[in-house]
Amino acid sequence: MKKILLVAFIFFISQETLAASGAPCGDYGECDTFKPELNNMESLQLGALTFINHCYGCHSLKYSRWGRVAEDLDIPEEIFINNLVFGKNVKLGDRMTGSMKPAVSESWFGIAPPDLTLVTRLHGSDWVYTYLRTFYEDSSKPYGVNNMVYPGAAMPNVLASMQGQQILSCKDVPIIASNGGVRRDDFGNDITEEKCGFLKTIEGSGSLSVQEFDELIFNLVNFMTYIGEPSRSDRERMGWYAILFFVVFTSLAYLLFREYQKDYH
Amino acid sequence: MEEKITTRRKVLIGMTSAVGAVGASFAAVPFIASWNPSAKAKAVGGPVKVDVSKMQIGQKIQVSWRKQPVFVIRHSKEALENLSKVESKLDDPSSLKIDEPYRDVNPTRSSSQEYTVIAGVCTHLGCAPKYYPEMESQPWDESWVGGFFCPCHGSMFDIVGRVFKGVPAPTNLKVPPHYFDGNILTIGEERGTA
Amino acid sequence: MTQKSSGFFNWINTRLPIVNTYERHLSKHPVPKKVNFWYMFGALASVVLIIQIVSGIWLMFGYENTEEGAFASIEYIMRDIEYGWIIRYMHTTGASMFFAVVYLHMFRGLLYGSYHKPRELVWVFGMTIYLVMMAEGFLGYVLPYGQMSYWGAQVIISLFGAIPYIGESLEIWVRGDYYISGATISRFFALHVVALPLILIALVFMHLVALHEVGAGNPEGVDIEKHLDEDGVPLDSVPFFPYKVLNALVAIGIFGIVFSIIMFFFPEGGGYMLELANFEEANPLSTPEHIAPVWYYSPYYAMLRAVPDKLGGLVVMGAAIAILFVVPWLDRSKAASIRYKGILSKIAMTIFIVSWLMLAWLGTVPVTALRTTLSIIGTVIYFAFFLLMPIYTSIEKTKPVPDRL
Repeated sequence: MKKILLVAFIFFISQETLAASGAPCGDYGECDTFKPELNNMESLQLGALTFINHCYGCHSLKYSRWGRVAEDLDIPEEIFINNLVFGKNVKLGDRMTGSMKPAVSESWFGIAPPDLTLVTRLHGSDWVYTYLRTFYEDSSKPYGVNNMVYPGAAMPNVLASMQGQQILSCKDVPIIASNGGVRRDDFGNDITEEKCGFLKTIEGSGSLSVQEFDELIFNLVNFMTYIGEPSRSDRERMGWYAILFFVVFTSLAYLLFREYQKDYH
Repeated sequence: MEEKITTRRKVLIGMTSAVGAVGASFAAVPFIASWNPSAKAKAVGGPVKVDVSKMQIGQKIQVSWRKQPVFVIRHSKEALENLSKVESKLDDPSSLKIDEPYRDVNPTRSSSQEYTVIAGVCTHLGCAPKYYPEMESQPWDESWVGGFFCPCHGSMFDIVGRVFKGVPAPTNLKVPPHYFDGNILTIGEERGTA
Repeated sequence: MTQKSSGFFNWINTRLPIVNTYERHLSKHPVPKKVNFWYMFGALASVVLIIQIVSGIWLMFGYENTEEGAFASIEYIMRDIEYGWIIRYMHTTGASMFFAVVYLHMFRGLLYGSYHKPRELVWVFGMTIYLVMMAEGFLGYVLPYGQMSYWGAQVIISLFGAIPYIGESLEIWVRGDYYISGATISRFFALHVVALPLILIALVFMHLVALHEVGAGNPEGVDIEKHLDEDGVPLDSVPFFPYKVLNALVAIGIFGIVFSIIMFFFPEGGGYMLELANFEEANPLSTPEHIAPVWYYSPYYAMLRAVPDKLGGLVVMGAAIAILFVVPWLDRSKAASIRYKGILSKIAMTIFIVSWLMLAWLGTVPVTALRTTLSIIGTVIYFAFFLLMPIYTSIEKTKPVPDRL
């Protein structure tokens, strides 16, 4: 009986894994993990700078206001206005509505670049973090690049000058045997096969190393995570106080309950 | 079964209630604070700039700041010199009753020697006073010396917004935060602050 | 009864029976002295109802019930209003917790036979509350006008289309437009914030009055009214104040911990409470890849999908809710509580729980052939549990129910 249940369970699980073939990050498979650091002001500030310089030209953050960003990211107003704010007549209380008219951008890209205020909440920060790092050269596409996470993305790789050329390459990988281990030959060496579809950055073709570029994207996505929910660090901070309060309250109420329970037990 | 009130029970009840009260007060904070002006309201109510160089002498313009009228008046030298003559009619000529930023700086009550900047909101019940600059007999005052008259309840103020004696309005018209940058008047903030 | 009250209260009480009412329904109301944690969810449900009403009123201050403004107004609440995010998360977490608490409360009813004579009406009012809550939750979910709001509503409103002859015109009538537009949002808004809450409060009132008339049940299924003291108060009861208030306080405290953890650390509930696709404004021209209801509808959604027929699916889903109303007359057991019921009831209950949880999960995931089969099995078990209840509860041997608690 137990065996039948076990077999049924394994069958069920395998069906489930097959059903989940639509991997979260497209051709890339599982997304790279992104753990936001919403109290790391330096990272958020650098991320904001990258966003304004490289993304804000096309993408708005229309639910967010300039002044709130300056305040939350501890950026002194003057520095903020001189270095980050796009447009001369922009006031700090204004929303970050973007600098491009949707009609213009639509004629450039075919579709209007979406507003990105909530993109990290819609797709998850992991997804955005992976997406921005998986552009590769593909001459068949209008911008000469394609994306592993979102194949056919109608967006040029605006950070290419820093990342350098990234291409799809092939490499030898160990063959995984059906029991889950690496298959070995008679001499104990791993048997390998050539597989393709791996991202590879051509060294020296960009102004940043792979590590530096990942850090740049980390900061950028960290900022985008912040902008998706600016109150998140407050929320998590206040959450501890709320829990602490209820723990204290529950303990006292419990003592009182026990005390009065004596009357009828 | 009898309910006994022992010391232990009293102490526990006291502590539980106290902690509960503290929690309730904190829980009330978001509900109270959320009634404050939102970031949107604050953005719309931000400082406004106005070019005052085109104003005629004696002219009054009305500027909207936070959807409230703000009066800007350009005074002639004579008018300003005459200010001290009406002081006997005034309730609080030196604006001691209210917190005023430029109390003893200029007779205009503003940071400028020529312009007066006052909130056009009667300190009685919030109507907008009307401007009658001419020194001539008026229905409400035969010896009118020029100034503001509130049509709602008859409060009277002089040309820089100081309240007359014996009217319902308790204090002078308020001076909003402002500064001049040449001919550009900014209403809604002091110089150097946000 | 009113000896203790001061002159002022006495004066009021002879004109308006507040003291009498307070004593009858709150302070002196006799409650079984031995109950377990399952009996706390009713009190918690009323706490959540208050949370929902208060936070809901506060959300209305910032919400805009128009097609153009609805989605942006949610972000306005989340960002521009001071602490608006707390109020919104309180409401969204509260919605899920309301269902969680009510499901546990209902399950308690099934487990201990809280619907047994003379508590049939208490159960029926309770079920009506649940039905109104489902409508309330659905309407509320449409208001942010995100992608999931739109397409979720599209799916649910399309169900009306399954009704023969009038279906299609009924759909248009419900929407007030040819798609889910500003017209739909503003009527849903009015229903969500005024009409249904009024009905809900009235029903809760009836539920409580009916309960207080017959008295609360207990996990033993003992009738405490059989043994009264000289004042006519059940011997196995304690007055609500202060004794049961303290039970409730402990329960509220623990509930507060759970609520805070979810609200402050997992407000999206992993996409089951706030679905991620709802962070994108409604777009009538593009359906999200996977439409799933929020978790609290999912068992019924799974049943809907299990039936390969539009009208059939609707009928099954409706019947699944409707059958809950008649449970008091399906259960023929002499014992109310599962503790004294026979083995058949215990087996049936176990299978029912497992299949209900399975349906709940199935309703949230995309369909595959296997899952559809499982949904069908789950649906059959769900109905079998209720429809066979008259049989297995009458043929099984029950244990004798004790006389005292």
